[in-house]
Amino acid sequence: MTKDYYLGLFNVTEDQLQKLSAEGIAGGGSYCDLFFESTSYSDLLLRDGSVAAGGFHIDHGVGIRVLQGDKTGYAYSESTDARAMSQAVRAASKIAAGGGVPVAAVKRPGGSGEPLKGGFPCSGGCPDRYPMDNDWRLSQASMFVPYLEELERKIAAKDSRAEKIIISLNDQVSDILMYNSLGELTHDTRPLASLAVSVVFSWQGKIENKTVSRSFRTGSEMLGPGLLEEIASEAVAGIDERFQARRPKGGQMPVVMGAGASGILLHEAMGHAFEADFNRKGQSIFSDRMGKRICMEGISIVDDGTIAGNRGAVNFDDEGIPGQKTFMVEDGVLTSYLHDRISAGFYGVAPTGNGRRESFRYAPLPRMRATYMLGGDARKEDLIASVDKGIFVDEFSNGQVQIGEGDFTFYVKSGFLIEKGCLTAPVKDINIIGNGPQALADIIGVGNDLVVDEGAWTCGKGQSCPVSCGIPTVLIKNLTVGGE
Amino acid sequence: MTEGTEGLLSEKEIRIASECMERALGMGADKVRISLGKSLMELFGTLNGELDKVSHCLDRSMSVGLFVDGRYGSFSTNRLEEEGIEPFLSKAISTVRMLAEDPCRDLPDPSRTAKDAVTGLETGLYDAEYPAMTAEKRLAVAMDAAVFKRHAGEDLVSEEGEYSDSVYDTLLIDSQGLRCRHIETSFDYGVEVHVQDREGKKYSGYWWDSSPKYQGLDAMGCGEVALRRARAQRYPERISSGRYTMVVDNENAARLAAPIARALGGMAIQQKNSFMLDTLGRKVFPEWLTLMDEPREAGAPGARLFDSEGVAALERPVIENGVVKVYFINTYMSRKLGMEPTIEDVMRPVLKPCAAPGIKMSETFDCQAIMNAVGDGILVTGFNGGNSNPATGDFSFGIEGFLFRDGKTVHPVREMLITGNLLTLWNNLLAAGNDYRPCKSKLIPTLAFSQVDFSA
Repeated sequence: MTKDYYLGLFNVTEDQLQKLSAEGIAGGGSYCDLFFESTSYSDLLLRDGSVAAGGFHIDHGVGIRVLQGDKTGYAYSESTDARAMSQAVRAASKIAAGGGVPVAAVKRPGGSGEPLKGGFPCSGGCPDRYPMDNDWRLSQASMFVPYLEELERKIAAKDSRAEKIIISLNDQVSDILMYNSLGELTHDTRPLASLAVSVVFSWQGKIENKTVSRSFRTGSEMLGPGLLEEIASEAVAGIDERFQARRPKGGQMPVVMGAGASGILLHEAMGHAFEADFNRKGQSIFSDRMGKRICMEGISIVDDGTIAGNRGAVNFDDEGIPGQKTFMVEDGVLTSYLHDRISAGFYGVAPTGNGRRESFRYAPLPRMRATYMLGGDARKEDLIASVDKGIFVDEFSNGQVQIGEGDFTFYVKSGFLIEKGCLTAPVKDINIIGNGPQALADIIGVGNDLVVDEGAWTCGKGQSCPVSCGIPTVLIKNLTVGGE
Repeated sequence: MTEGTEGLLSEKEIRIASECMERALGMGADKVRISLGKSLMELFGTLNGELDKVSHCLDRSMSVGLFVDGRYGSFSTNRLEEEGIEPFLSKAISTVRMLAEDPCRDLPDPSRTAKDAVTGLETGLYDAEYPAMTAEKRLAVAMDAAVFKRHAGEDLVSEEGEYSDSVYDTLLIDSQGLRCRHIETSFDYGVEVHVQDREGKKYSGYWWDSSPKYQGLDAMGCGEVALRRARAQRYPERISSGRYTMVVDNENAARLAAPIARALGGMAIQQKNSFMLDTLGRKVFPEWLTLMDEPREAGAPGARLFDSEGVAALERPVIENGVVKVYFINTYMSRKLGMEPTIEDVMRPVLKPCAAPGIKMSETFDCQAIMNAVGDGILVTGFNGGNSNPATGDFSFGIEGFLFRDGKTVHPVREMLITGNLLTLWNNLLAAGNDYRPCKSKLIPTLAFSQVDFSA
């Protein structure tokens, strides 16, 4: 898509954008940006054997932010006519009563550091991390109905205990145009689609459920036969164990976290605490740890917006900063927070491309993308074998953290007891709690099997953001496990 | 009603919604339901006693439910320009025609819909003083409520406060003649503080207040309460895992009631993904437990006269003397399940004060009175993550709070978990207080339970 496509979509001109951003800082603001968004959402739902529910939704508008130093004025308009945008600019500019610290300009990858005037599409300097062969917006719902029906048949054929199957397909494509008072113009088109399955199993009077999802930034070509088989197989995997599972005896014990979705540990235990806004305000438990060792040598943790097709991928963040891969921890030492323009200006560093937002209705904040730990050299089997009494966990639903205290939790949907180095009885529905810095320091083994999970993870921080997480198998010597 | 008076929706927007319905019928829809919503929020946030952010948020959206050839689809747009409506409807109707037939889809029986939500003001949730709010007044509330400077030099690391006020206006119409409107204002203040102990460890505390009327908002007390709650958590001690009596304060008790309301929902029942399956009409809770739905109390937060289908909200028992009295069944689930429809969800749950045999209720049956009554245990003042299995009711939640003996707190505890089954937990209900916070829409008071598994 060309720059003119986006300007035409929102019915604006570059000259108009320049005037609006100038108006935003005329009253003393140090920076103004405009975030135009036009998103088309579609959904289909298979339930009780047929795809009898669906629809689409249109969301269109512009968010206008005026900064005075690190203070934020924000307003948005669902109309992009000149009068409505001018009103929003005036509302946002109320924050400004004087000058402030300038916010960071974009430094073009490998470039001169000059502002990105005149448009900066991915084709002009960075790889497109979410190309669409088949644009969801050009597809009709009827094209996907057989796919959902086939997925249901496959699941039912694999396990006769599957009594209720719900399958949902949600896709969206957002056209984004960004402009700021530095004269930088950026545009992007972002697809995001999720296929999710929820199955209720019934066996000998007992009921259990299982959910599986996959989510990618890609076009409808994601709906291939491989994905169909992968989701169907995972939907019925481990059900025997789930019917047999019991609560373990609770308390403190070693925990082996399986590769992939266990990356929720990184997201909750440290990722949020590394978001620079919490550190700028002195709230994070990691506020005074920059440059210090926070976990054992050999551990490196990154937040990565560059994985093509990944749910957390960004060509640009929502402030027009190019997507990048940020090492937060290198060889056990805290090396970087996750920055938006405000915190980058505060700390005097380059933005890391983490300024993200749910939609034009929200001001951007430092947010994670795909957060994962690099692989180590241990084998999964050896990590499990090293535990005399503990648990192995590999499936999760949700997590949470208290930024100041560092206490984090995540909910385990399935796992196993480890007894004398072997996986024994299955466990389920337990919460695990720990303290971020302590848990990181307590990682004593890192596997060589890194997996970045492809589930539909969404981070909440007052506003939702698609993310992903990953980790190799790790051994933590001590966490508190819920139980009887 | 026009912009600038009580409601936000303009005559033009209402006319567009009506015309949209007529056009959809003319383009082949058999029945149509339209929900038109508009809201405006103004926010002033402070950081450490200084203005940190201002926001101005004006939203509107039109949702359209289309019943076409025995099929159903739902659509929405925030683009209400008249020229865009016809293409929107045309695409929507063709999309519905691609879906499978579903004979269970229908609008509700008109005899069940609300007839008394005409102006939108009937719930008494609109503050006529709202239009008189100014930026200066909002800023003054936000700045005056901040306590950071009052406690400068103490242990306070940061204080983030947010004052906001908003007005919501919703109109629901359908092709069977339904017309329901709801307008409400809300005035809110919330503040989070972080304090630091002598060892540099940080603790956070949060408090808030809310009211549909400006005069009902108590913003000034929130900062001190948040600070008190943060400081009270300093110097926690570990205790042994085991079974304890648990008291959950009135700020957090609703967390334990919400999964029950979800499990009584028609969708969960129909999909057999509910631990309340086959409990309708059965006594599955202790006889001293009664949970009401009281949505029609004028002026009370959470009051509603109709649900999203327009079905009239009614006062009714949800659980009465331990007996499950209602599943929440909308029109669609009614047909799927072959059950009489009720309403789609609990609207304003009210848990009545009660005590198990052997526990004496007092006139002021609040958190302290309940701690006195049960003697020893753990007081939960916050949840940290966790979840419950909708099919089995098994749960596990992280908690923070205090160990108490003889009704008096001994020391804070944290990094603890409670684990169990929701039906078992509620059958061990010892007491429910009479101290629910009136600013909440879910009126769940302080609760006490026996025999709760704590892991530490």
